Amino acid sequence: MNIIVLVKQVPDPEALVEIAASGKDLNIEPKFAINLFDEFALEEALRLKEKHGGSVKAIGLGGPKAIEALRTAIAMGADEAVLIEDESFAARDGYDTAFVLSRALQKEAFDIILSGRQAIDRDRAEVPQMVAQFLGLPHVGVIVKLDVADGKATAESALEGVAEVIEVGLPAIFTAQKGLNEPRVPLITGVMKAMKVQIPRVTLTDLGVSKDAGQKTSVLRYLPPKKRPAVQFIEGEPAQAAREIVRILADVERAI
Amino acid sequence: MDFSLSKEQKFFKGQVSRALSRIVAPFADSIDKTDMFPRELFRELGALGYYGIRYPSDIGGMGADCISFTILAEELARASIGFAAIATMQCLMGTDFVYRFGNARQKRKYLIPAIKGNKIGTIAFTEPDCGSDLGGIKTRAVKNDRGYVLTGRKLWITDGDVADFVTVAATTDPGKRLGGIGFFLVEKGTPGFSTGQKIDKISARGAATMELIFDECQVPAESLMGEEGKGAKYLNDILSEIRIMIAGLGLGLAKSAFVAGLNYARQREAFGRPIGKFQLIEEKLAEMEVRIKAAELLTYHAAWLKDNGSLTGKQAAMAKFYSTEAACYVVDEVSRIHGAYGLAEEYPAQRYFRDARFLLFGGGTSEILKTIIAKDVMKRSDFEIN
Repeated sequence: MNIIVLVKQVPDPEALVEIAASGKDLNIEPKFAINLFDEFALEEALRLKEKHGGSVKAIGLGGPKAIEALRTAIAMGADEAVLIEDESFAARDGYDTAFVLSRALQKEAFDIILSGRQAIDRDRAEVPQMVAQFLGLPHVGVIVKLDVADGKATAESALEGVAEVIEVGLPAIFTAQKGLNEPRVPLITGVMKAMKVQIPRVTLTDLGVSKDAGQKTSVLRYLPPKKRPAVQFIEGEPAQAAREIVRILADVERAI
Repeated sequence: MDFSLSKEQKFFKGQVSRALSRIVAPFADSIDKTDMFPRELFRELGALGYYGIRYPSDIGGMGADCISFTILAEELARASIGFAAIATMQCLMGTDFVYRFGNARQKRKYLIPAIKGNKIGTIAFTEPDCGSDLGGIKTRAVKNDRGYVLTGRKLWITDGDVADFVTVAATTDPGKRLGGIGFFLVEKGTPGFSTGQKIDKISARGAATMELIFDECQVPAESLMGEEGKGAKYLNDILSEIRIMIAGLGLGLAKSAFVAGLNYARQREAFGRPIGKFQLIEEKLAEMEVRIKAAELLTYHAAWLKDNGSLTGKQAAMAKFYSTEAACYVVDEVSRIHGAYGLAEEYPAQRYFRDARFLLFGGGTSEILKTIIAKDVMKRSDFEIN
């Protein structure tokens, strides 16, 4: 079973972010991490490999820094990794990203593609679906369980209040939701191996893609989030206070 | 001249930091509160291969250099000083003698399981009346036809309550002071070897510090690690490494405390603005930043010198002295930034405040270290260039 995992390097969740003076860029503290949801995808790929044999390959797209997310994949146990190196993809859209990834994937042999349900930086949750579209593959999203047998996969997709059990023929693309597994902590020997491994890099030219492949959206500006209103204290007897909370939630905030 | 970690070292630091912040840091508070040896956590880190980091790969290690080991010490301390004391004991002092001098059977029985986290090792040289003055130890090793008989008491022994084997300093010839010392590998359960009182302490809780009692404890001849009378030399061989490691611990603790102080200074408001915007708090942040950076430079410079074969005892002493004193300074300032909350159990500031003191003694007190530095200085006519 050959599994490919799409891995994105994102700003560390604790990195400080502010809007640049121009309003058109973000200044992000240079602390990076592998996308949380991609870790679930990687872990699932490694478990499938341990169960069924085969190999796990991680593919990333981005600037030279993105190599670290791929090293993390190697440290966890991925057999190989490749970086499609192009700095400009930090600012390009999901369509463009999916297009380039799909071109790279056309050159690969795989049974399963796994990815996180979304990247925690932009939260668009669009790239794997579009990759599926470009490749003409089925896509099962937001999975919390995945079993593979006889060229087919059975996945549980988490919906609001219910899990949907879906059967799909392979090859197919799955996106991982929190709860799918608990990602492993790499062995120190894995870390050492990952430190030393040469991760190959390919360029857009290698993939036969032109620079302006097809970005469809562009960011006009960034706006700061609305200031959170001050905390409101509700006083009075517990029963009376509870009634007041319900009234505010239902009538004022319309939250329930 | 290059002051930065290599890309590979940065990756290693990132991975270790991530792993320890997930595995160890969530338990820092409970390790501190319960003061119990975190056995499950200890095994978990062993299974991940952390305790073998300094040792060659053929015995389950990763042959890491001193810079990598210092990175590990720093990240361990960022997560929990109590656990860091346990883990670094296992990586270095607790296992190094059996690694260097143990025979094949001893390595199989003690070292290999220790690297995997299945056995716990510690070292014992401090005594009730003797710490910095190693030559004054009173524990005797008397040779007989079955090996050696050990008699004496050891105090402040990390993990003394749980250790499966102890490397014990004893003298075969008290008159020779340092020249009489040898190290002996003693297994838990050996007749005549028992644990005494536990010293309840405010720092590095979780790593119990115990009294060990040797009452005519007969050990076989092979227990002697290396040769009689050479113990002080053997200890000296790793002393600089121990000091750099503790400098790394100080650095990690200082950074954790600093971040806590920084976050508090950002969030806490007084007179209508975050307290971090007041000049006297800014002054604290700036002082701490500079001292931590200076500690970082001294520590990693010493580690780099070690890896390049040109470390002097003075460099390691400077790193340990400055880094641990910087940690004590930082935890004090962070406590002040927190105001009364610096004393509150619910904030980690009080734990950092207590933990920093632990670093002042093991590996040489600041006073001893300054003596070493001064002696070196007195040998020179001018500043050295390096």
